[in-house]
Amino acid sequence: MQRFLDPNVLAGISTLDLLAKTVVDGFVAGLHRSPDFGFSQEFAEYRAYVPGDDLRHVDWNLFARTERCYLKRYRGETNSQLTVLLDASNSMLYTSGPPKKMDYARYLAASLFYLAIHNQRDAAGLIVFDDEVREYIRPATRTGQLARLFAGLERAEPRALTDFGKPMKHLQNFLRRRGIVIVISDFYEQPETIVRTVAPLRFHGNEVVLLHILDPQEIRPVLRGSAILVDLETDKRIEVVPEYARTAYRAKIDAHMEELRSRARSAGMDYQLLVTDQPLDRALREYLSLRQAEN
Amino acid sequence: MGFLAPWFLLGLAALGVPVFVHLLRRHKTTPRPVSSLMFFERGTQSSTRHRRLSYLLLFALRSALVLLVVLAFANPFVRRAAADANGRLLLIVLDNSFSMRAGTRFSDAKQQALALLAAKPPAQKAQIMSLGGQLEVRTQPITDDTQLRVALESIQPGDGHASFGELGRAMRTLAQTVHGPIDLHLFSDMQHTAMPANFADMVLSDNVTLRLQPVANRPAPPNWTVESVDAPTALSDPKDPKRSRVQAVIAGFNTPAETKSVSLVVNGKTISTRKVLVPAAGRVPVEFVPLDVGYGLNRCEVRIEGGDAFPTDDASVFAVRRSDPDRVLLVHALGDTRSPVYFGSALSAAAQGSFVMQSVAAEQATDLDPSKYGFVVLSDAVTLPSIFEHTLAQYVAKGGSVLITLGTSAARGTHIPLWGGEVKDTHDYARTGSPVSVGQLDFSYPALEQVQPGPDNGGWGVVKVFYAAVLDADQARVAARLTDGTPLLLDKPLGEGHLLLFASGLENLTNDLPLHPVFVAFVDRAARYLSGGQSLGGSRLVDSFLQLRAAAEPVRAVPNVEVIDPDGRRPLSLSEARTAQSVRLERAGFYRIRFANGRDALIGVNPDRRESDLQPLPEDVQRLWTGSSGGGADQSAGAASIDAKNRTISLWWWVMLFAFAVAVAETVLAGVYMGTQREEV
Repeated sequence: MQRFLDPNVLAGISTLDLLAKTVVDGFVAGLHRSPDFGFSQEFAEYRAYVPGDDLRHVDWNLFARTERCYLKRYRGETNSQLTVLLDASNSMLYTSGPPKKMDYARYLAASLFYLAIHNQRDAAGLIVFDDEVREYIRPATRTGQLARLFAGLERAEPRALTDFGKPMKHLQNFLRRRGIVIVISDFYEQPETIVRTVAPLRFHGNEVVLLHILDPQEIRPVLRGSAILVDLETDKRIEVVPEYARTAYRAKIDAHMEELRSRARSAGMDYQLLVTDQPLDRALREYLSLRQAEN
Repeated sequence: MGFLAPWFLLGLAALGVPVFVHLLRRHKTTPRPVSSLMFFERGTQSSTRHRRLSYLLLFALRSALVLLVVLAFANPFVRRAAADANGRLLLIVLDNSFSMRAGTRFSDAKQQALALLAAKPPAQKAQIMSLGGQLEVRTQPITDDTQLRVALESIQPGDGHASFGELGRAMRTLAQTVHGPIDLHLFSDMQHTAMPANFADMVLSDNVTLRLQPVANRPAPPNWTVESVDAPTALSDPKDPKRSRVQAVIAGFNTPAETKSVSLVVNGKTISTRKVLVPAAGRVPVEFVPLDVGYGLNRCEVRIEGGDAFPTDDASVFAVRRSDPDRVLLVHALGDTRSPVYFGSALSAAAQGSFVMQSVAAEQATDLDPSKYGFVVLSDAVTLPSIFEHTLAQYVAKGGSVLITLGTSAARGTHIPLWGGEVKDTHDYARTGSPVSVGQLDFSYPALEQVQPGPDNGGWGVVKVFYAAVLDADQARVAARLTDGTPLLLDKPLGEGHLLLFASGLENLTNDLPLHPVFVAFVDRAARYLSGGQSLGGSRLVDSFLQLRAAAEPVRAVPNVEVIDPDGRRPLSLSEARTAQSVRLERAGFYRIRFANGRDALIGVNPDRRESDLQPLPEDVQRLWTGSSGGGADQSAGAASIDAKNRTISLWWWVMLFAFAVAVAETVLAGVYMGTQREEV
């Protein structure tokens, strides 16, 4: 089943719904049975009857055996709300080999939507942003929501620059109900800025997850001789020597990821680094884990 | 400097390839997109400079490689003066033949050669040779002046006869191995007798420049010499006037008519003197009778009294062995009475023979000891007592000789004693109609060497053969054949001895040889050859070879030979004494020799009398000779100066070698650079 989660295999699937179904079915079938997942009416505890309690909750079978009156309590269960914030800036176009970071992000978002709506019957919504909010699909569970989300993902072609500050101000207005907010981006911004702009989402009781999408070449770049590098967002060019890419760059990118992880944790957010040559299950597992914790 | 193929210089346009690759193309770097330049910085200046240095070194190597390959194809050359010490080989040939002993010729020639050697440039190679009885290489081509000088000074005058023909052949051979020019300086008296019969033998190769350095004065000084001596090798009766005589010929070269005293010296004692009038530049015979010598080996000498320009050649030495007559055993068939008569008569009539014949029938030969006889004759004795045949085989193996004749008995028995073969057939020419004669003769064979070639084969042509045996001539030397090709006279070595086989009889029934005068001469020479007496004394010429042992494979332990030269030294080493088949008589004087068969000999050795004629080559012949060589006729004395001609030296090989070295360096450097790139990937 693991092969259905391999990004290289997913790149060969043309439609997002089929792709999401493949990923999620493969992921769920691969899960072990767990006490945390799989029951909608879940028994929680027995409690002694006190006057005023609703007699409908009395366990009469137990009363018949023991002549003691106990109430049978169940774990309360509510539907959650998933909102995916997808970065559609030009930097997401980068790739050193299929898939592109943007495609990987689409697969990831589609899989999350499918898992949420089809399996968990959660409401799911999508916000596509770059330096502004380009598309907003309100979270819902109604029929056709999954198709709308997939269509929104298809339309999310990268363009413009990344600017977390400007769109996040508008997002405050969209996310009034508590739920799970997953931000998918390559986070080419100072960690302090990122956390500062995303942290307000947390104030409404949302669980916020930062999914950091990077290409392997962005973590360990290799240069054959001096090269002229072009910034995909700003079109700025500089000449870089291989020695720098081997040493200083790697140190800087490692420090950047570590700082982002640290600051996110400090702000009560989860952080996951996803490299485009790795399977998608880590992100799905993260979502289910958060949903369980929320309940 | 120039180029032999300058059109290839157009290939220098290929230099544009490394220029393009290194200086133009490297600026065109394909931009590479990245997500963000947030973590990138511009490359530091030092790193870029290091990379540029590598590029420039590689660029220089590649440009040099292209340049060198183009130059190699253009074939550059330089012109150097021919006086280049490395270019020409200075070859000094010093004549040390016998005639160079006359006056101060040899010392003058050596001084001139030393002077030439001293003027040689230090870096020029030189080689020393001496021309005597043969051309001897004294040094290899070297530049060490000390070694060359020592080699030159070590040359001493010899007793051999020089031949310019041999010099020419040696130079032609040398020119095939030494490809550069050779300056040949010949220091010689330029005797005209050293000139070969064919002038073409003297012609030198094109790369040999001959410079003659004559040391003899013109005209040649008068010189008398003992041209030849005819004396018996062995003598049994000094009172016999027919045999005990010495005949000499006194010759004068470039001499006026003059009366000369000629003496016969035996063992250092003058026993007879004659006065003879030698005509101007002529010859006169002198005879000494009798030759009174004692028993044993005697050192004899015919000497001209009174000095001349070349006193060294005024004597001629020879050795005479006096002994009792050698006994000859003739074994014949019982009914054969004619063979002993004819052979015995011829043997006693031989002029120089000293033999006494004993004839015995084959059946009575059982107890005879062959070692007491000089040689043995088996006349038509195809059947011998086995004991005698065995004794006879041992006798031959130790050095004895046997003459086997095959008469009519050959038709009855096929086995030939000692010979090892069988009679295959017999030819009875009398019955078939016409007798045959002797068709082919080997005049160099010792038993026939007195016979002169002619229409009648020296007398053998009139001999009629009526009956002859036919046998296999394998491993035998055929000295005579009949006109139908049947071998008549065969020689086969056996151990240290010889077997001489006459395929017909010694009587007048199977041939009429005994009735002809040539029979006496044949018996005389054959007897001397078979007895070995002719090699035990007499005289030889310098540089002739003397056979020390039979050429056949030894049938028993190899005996040593012993040779003592006129100076009392042993020219043969111990190993050579066990294996040498012959010895070269290099010195004039008396040689004492003990042959492998144990017999002692004393041999007088005289220089070739052509060396006594001191007349030099005519001037025109000398000019013709030097003109035939590659260097023209420049004969300036002490010509150490060498022509200053320019010669072209191609540098192709060196350029290619350098290009190869640059290619290796470029490969290594590029490999290191590319290796770094692979490590990065």
